[in-house]
Amino acid sequence: MSLLSLEQVSVAYDNRLILEDFNLSLAKGQLLSLLGPSGCGKTTTLRLIAGFLNAEAGAFMFGGKDYTKVPVEKRNFGFVFQSYALFPHLSVFDNVAFGLRLRKLKEAEVKKRVTRMLEIVSLGGFEKRLPAALSGGQRQRVAIARALVIEPDLLLFDEPLSNLDANLRVNMRVEIRRIQQELGITTVYVSHDQEECFSISDQVAVMNNGKIEQLDKPSAIFKYPASEFVARFIGFGNFIAFDGRNDMGSDIELSRGALKFQAAKRPEGLGNTGLLGAIRPDDLQLFGEPGAAGIDGNTLPGTVQISTYLGRSYQYQVETELGVFTVNQEMEQPFVQGQRVTVYFPKEKLVLVQ
Amino acid sequence: MNKKALYLLLPGLLFLAAFMLVPITLTIASTFVQDGKLTLEGYLHFFRDGYFNRILLTTLRVSVVTTLVCMLLGYPAAYYISRASARKKSILLALSIFPLLTSPVVRSFSWMIILGKKGLINSFLVNIGLIDKPLDILYTPVAMMIGLVHLFLPLIIITLLGVMENLDHELVRAARSLGASPFAAFRKITFPLTVPGLIIGGILVFVGSLTAYTTPALLGGKERVVSTFLYQNAMTLNDWQAASVIAVIMIVITFVVVGLMNAWANRLNPKG
Ligand SMILES: Nc1ncnc2c1ncn2[C@@H]1O[C@H](COP(=O)(O)OP(=O)(O)OP(=O)(O)O)[C@@H](O)[C@H]1O
Ligand SMILES: [Mg+2]
Repeated sequence: MSLLSLEQVSVAYDNRLILEDFNLSLAKGQLLSLLGPSGCGKTTTLRLIAGFLNAEAGAFMFGGKDYTKVPVEKRNFGFVFQSYALFPHLSVFDNVAFGLRLRKLKEAEVKKRVTRMLEIVSLGGFEKRLPAALSGGQRQRVAIARALVIEPDLLLFDEPLSNLDANLRVNMRVEIRRIQQELGITTVYVSHDQEECFSISDQVAVMNNGKIEQLDKPSAIFKYPASEFVARFIGFGNFIAFDGRNDMGSDIELSRGALKFQAAKRPEGLGNTGLLGAIRPDDLQLFGEPGAAGIDGNTLPGTVQISTYLGRSYQYQVETELGVFTVNQEMEQPFVQGQRVTVYFPKEKLVLVQ
Repeated sequence: MNKKALYLLLPGLLFLAAFMLVPITLTIASTFVQDGKLTLEGYLHFFRDGYFNRILLTTLRVSVVTTLVCMLLGYPAAYYISRASARKKSILLALSIFPLLTSPVVRSFSWMIILGKKGLINSFLVNIGLIDKPLDILYTPVAMMIGLVHLFLPLIIITLLGVMENLDHELVRAARSLGASPFAAFRKITFPLTVPGLIIGGILVFVGSLTAYTTPALLGGKERVVSTFLYQNAMTLNDWQAASVIAVIMIVITFVVVGLMNAWANRLNPKG
């Protein structure tokens, strides 16, 4: 039973449709990420849910009620903005207390709740500071505390970590996930950083051009992208367009002209159609001599074009009769430019997408 | 601030010192000297004089009312302009700045045509039978106020617009998402954050009205304000001593009012 659902929603700016017939649903207590390239409509979706934007068509249901026409202030959703949007003229305490005071709580109760919430985000002792006197990470935590303290029915995050440095981002995303799970708050989280999305979400929706291309558990998306777009977006850098497929048992036999390849079938329910093979640079393997031990099939002979050092591994561009493949491989003695090699496509790692 | 930055300030400081600080100090000093003796007589003479007190009162009344009216009219106008679409905004902005492009003399003459005994307003009111004798508007403090509001409204609108354009609309959305109605969000966020613009605009209008010469001279008739009185003393009566005393009184009033309005600005920043 889903808590939130967008049903056939369309949103337009100046008569330009950004979302069209958009559908999304989310169960109580879950954290859903919207992941996608810049301009694909993530913020638009979030603003629609928050009530900052009106839908041209369709309905937004929440907790079994029609929220389409409910004004922002009646929704009781917490929103954490990319820019934090802290009130610059109010202290940390007054920022966090803002929503509680609007709810006409007694001042003693306000103080109790604000103090507790500031403890949760590790900002005890910062009550009197103005936002201008805080670091980026501290501001971010005030913004979270301010959204959480009203005990929202839904929490919305719009790229809350994009202004922070790399280390702090990792710490804060763990923190956000901890608080979200501890309080069991249903959350929609927007980001264009896939690692961030995968690490904190129960569900990830990969968006492209105002549409959801795939909605699934992070691990399922990571291993089994549904479409070429999703595959590219999450790092499947190599593609082979096959011209025939033949499902046999647990494997699929693929052909491209006279060449034959094998791919393992996906687990049930993860989509198994398509003729485009995709594989990550990390999953390809290179061998110096043809016909390495224990490997027959799923190989292509090729020539190393470019070799670069990535730190953990070397990256090679290998030219074959099916085009250029990118391979990341950890090794002591790197292959050199012009060397003849064999590219091996492990069948469990080769996935088929639409 | 580092030393290099101070050098950048130097030309400006020298200019101000030479052309403002020195003459003002000399003017102020001269008002305390009479027949070679140090005395407050120059000021006491003025404040004992009922005529001058009346002029001072009229001036303050005109300036305060002009300022308040400009604030009341300017704030909603600036708010509306700041929220308008880009195209509408440039049209509205041009319209509101337009009066600044005509000279105060021309504007005052137009008001004379509108406000006079046979002017537009009086003819209209008489014609529809609302009054049977034309009202005395021209050559009263009310006429000065109308002229001054017209003169300074663009100024306060532009000042306010600067502040309102800088206001992050995300803040209003944040307030709304926390449960504030549009009005509550305005009262607790938009207004406190734009009050500095209102105060600065108010100060500009007040100081402008206090020192304005052309408009009160043309629309005030025989009614004097401090600046026209100063001019009369200096140019017609050639009494530079009296003119200096009036100038100092104006400077003091300006400083007091600016101080008060600043204090008010700080008070008007309410907490959540
Ligand atoms: N206020 C607006 N007026 C007109 N068009 C807008 C407005 N806001 C967004 N758009 C357009 O809507 C589309 C989706 O924008 P949106 O902000 O939802 O993207 P996003 O996925 O959040 O991107 P990003 O990752 O860059 O934040 C974009 O093409 C954008 O240009
Ligand atoms: Mg965005």
